[in-house]
Amino acid sequence: MAYVATRGGARAIDQSERLYRAELGPIDAARVDEIRRALPMLIDRVMGEASLYEPDLAALALAQSGGDIYEAVLLLRAWRTTQPRLTIAEPVLQDQLFTHRRISAAFKDITGGQILGPSLDYAHRLLATDVLQGQPYVPAPVEPAATPAPARQPSLAAWQKVQGLVADPARADVAPGDIPDLTREPLLFPAQRAHTLQSLARADTGGMLALGYAAMRGYGNAHPTVNELRLAEAEVRVCHPRGTVFSAGRVKVSQAEVTAKGKSGLLELGFCATLGWNEVKVISGATLDLNAPGAAKGSPVEEEFVLYHTEPVEASGFCIHFKLPHYVTFQSSLDALRGAKQTTAPHQPEKVPA
Amino acid sequence: MSLPTSVPVPDAFETRTNATFEALMWALSRPGTVQNLPAQGMAGIAEALLDRECRVFCDDPALAVQIATFGAARVDLPLADHCFLGLGRNIDRLAHVAVGSALYPDAGATVVAEAEFGAGQRLRLTGPGIETSDEIALGGIAPEFWAMRTAVCRYPAGFDLFLICGAQVIGLPRSITIEVL
Amino acid sequence: MTIAALTKPWQALSYGFLDASAKRELRRKMLKAIAVPGCQMPYASREVPMARGWGTGGLQVTLTLLRPSSVVKVIDQGADDSVNAASIRSFLSKVSGATETWDTTAATILQSRHRIPEERLRADQVLVLQVPNPEPLRPVEPNMSIARQMHADADYGRLWLILYEQIVRSGRVMQGAAYPSLVNGRHVMTPSPIPRWDVPKLHMAQHLTFLSAGREKRLYAVPPFTRVEPLVFSDIPYQVEDHAALTCHRSGLRGYFMNEIPQDDGSAQFELSDSHLGIKAIRQAEGSAVEIGPTWYENGKMPQ
Repeated sequence: MAYVATRGGARAIDQSERLYRAELGPIDAARVDEIRRALPMLIDRVMGEASLYEPDLAALALAQSGGDIYEAVLLLRAWRTTQPRLTIAEPVLQDQLFTHRRISAAFKDITGGQILGPSLDYAHRLLATDVLQGQPYVPAPVEPAATPAPARQPSLAAWQKVQGLVADPARADVAPGDIPDLTREPLLFPAQRAHTLQSLARADTGGMLALGYAAMRGYGNAHPTVNELRLAEAEVRVCHPRGTVFSAGRVKVSQAEVTAKGKSGLLELGFCATLGWNEVKVISGATLDLNAPGAAKGSPVEEEFVLYHTEPVEASGFCIHFKLPHYVTFQSSLDALRGAKQTTAPHQPEKVPA
Repeated sequence: MSLPTSVPVPDAFETRTNATFEALMWALSRPGTVQNLPAQGMAGIAEALLDRECRVFCDDPALAVQIATFGAARVDLPLADHCFLGLGRNIDRLAHVAVGSALYPDAGATVVAEAEFGAGQRLRLTGPGIETSDEIALGGIAPEFWAMRTAVCRYPAGFDLFLICGAQVIGLPRSITIEVL
Repeated sequence: MTIAALTKPWQALSYGFLDASAKRELRRKMLKAIAVPGCQMPYASREVPMARGWGTGGLQVTLTLLRPSSVVKVIDQGADDSVNAASIRSFLSKVSGATETWDTTAATILQSRHRIPEERLRADQVLVLQVPNPEPLRPVEPNMSIARQMHADADYGRLWLILYEQIVRSGRVMQGAAYPSLVNGRHVMTPSPIPRWDVPKLHMAQHLTFLSAGREKRLYAVPPFTRVEPLVFSDIPYQVEDHAALTCHRSGLRGYFMNEIPQDDGSAQFELSDSHLGIKAIRQAEGSAVEIGPTWYENGKMPQ
């Protein structure tokens, strides 16, 4: 068995995993609970990329992966694979969202009002180093407004459509169950609209930012104005087999609409929405959506380029797969290289540049 | 982390659909050979392959009721990705079976029909899955069907055929040439 | 009707990990792949508990086929105990109860990355090759929509052109592994990054081969007795790696694909890439009753 002794794959991988997990230590419900409460933005990002809204599972995935986001997303996606599909929820309409934050850069004021909601946009980014000296940071309490903002807000694009500023394409009436589902069928190009939006919704935040930023800097044709950015909660309304429609709960969602003047003389819109609150992602995604139509093949804003290269599980998996042995393919190339040397060496002396 | 320590055991549904698929897989891989299904008839094939992602055409009302329980939508022939029908007569309609395109050959339909094995029209098969050539005999299929198949299946577009006789299946993929003897 | 009626009793794990709907989709696509040999069929490709690029495509095909009586062999670079092969094999047996084996002749399903075993596969065996990049046209056309149109038109001129350019520049075809090959005279496929040595094993073979790319969501097949012809010019024959005369320093076998192991003194030693064939040869030499199946290559040559 001399052949085997030098390898011993099964034991090696077992011990390698143990080393990794030893670093993380035991995981208990308290740790998972603390992650869920302390890191809601990270939980949101992971749930969005996993297309699975379950904060406890997302926290567990982060605990298991030690905070490696790509690992956490993969854990959740793989778990999602094993779950049965019980029913399909009703479509969520913009003006039915329970809105926490809604801003527009396109107008000074908008119907329904600019609602800042929770944001660090105007905070000074200073580390509270006193915390490390033992002095806890206690946030100042929120002072409620005299009159609460209405929970439901109209969509700005609806107003623009009435004004004739935005094209209002006829909407096809598709039953919820007939909406194409990216997790059940492959992404093909030109992509169906539903697949594009689903793909943007579960895209890698960092990857989307990189490509969205490229578009913003000038690799796209359209310079975006944030028409509307919204953080909200959406009611998940499903139909009981007995026929009653009921709310199964609320999920946090974010959505962005960016706009630019199109060639048609009307405003064109780019849209992106995702599960969880993730402003960088939806603004980048909406910018890419705005820039995709008519983009040249191979351009960093073209649909196929964007959607293939922002898929977190595929991109990260392929990246780390280069750690796997490739010595057979290398051997095969080496053979061709040596063969070429033999055939070309005698009559093709390489000229050395002076 | 780690998987549950107890190995999952297939239930009757899993065992049956797995065996049905394996019979279909070998039938299509070795066109003309007879493969054994775990149960009689066409319903088992629908059970192994179909769900709400599929669109089905079905001639037989009783079978259609069974197929409906798997969730596939019932549609007109040209829209169906799986067609359960008789090939004894009314062959003209096969001109409307989905054959996909050179761009998307996978959009070509799977056609399932009943036939009699070992009797009737003699056919010579050549192509992938067959070492040189093979001869089979099939009954219960209208004579004009074979010319219709050749006319409709313009490779790589085309439809793929499973013929059922009791609990046996023969597969005839679009890739093979069928010569009427 | 109740919500409970829509679902099944809770199970820690579906048999074979994949749920029934994922398996049905794979079955439908696997049948289409057989019907149009070498043509890439798009599929949804569910996430599985392994990273993309690590054999998830092969895994989904294997999981769809598995039953408790299956016997599975998994190799990476020809070796059964390579770390990722060990990981995949253990997953497969844990979710299905299938028997694990290292012996090519004992397996009913063989999942492999980058190699086809040296012992001939039989008519009752299924080979599942893991595919990183299913698109042979990628080097000449990275855009998948355009590449798909090129397949539809059987427009392979640019592939021939790069082979021609290699011959002009280097005096020979420089393609290493993943040699583009014409299947059933119609579709060019990449046989996955197997060495050129292994491509002839797919031509008019007894066994059925599935090739599956989980990350790229494409699967294709080579049924038994299907023509698989590497793209070559009629005056420049197809060249496999020059390994026919190499001898394995561990097993003493000669005439198979080898791993080159650099030595401190500047020389190199060779060992069989098909590791279990080496183990069997060593055991046989030690006097154990081990049977080595017939191999594709005989004395370093593939019989025509």
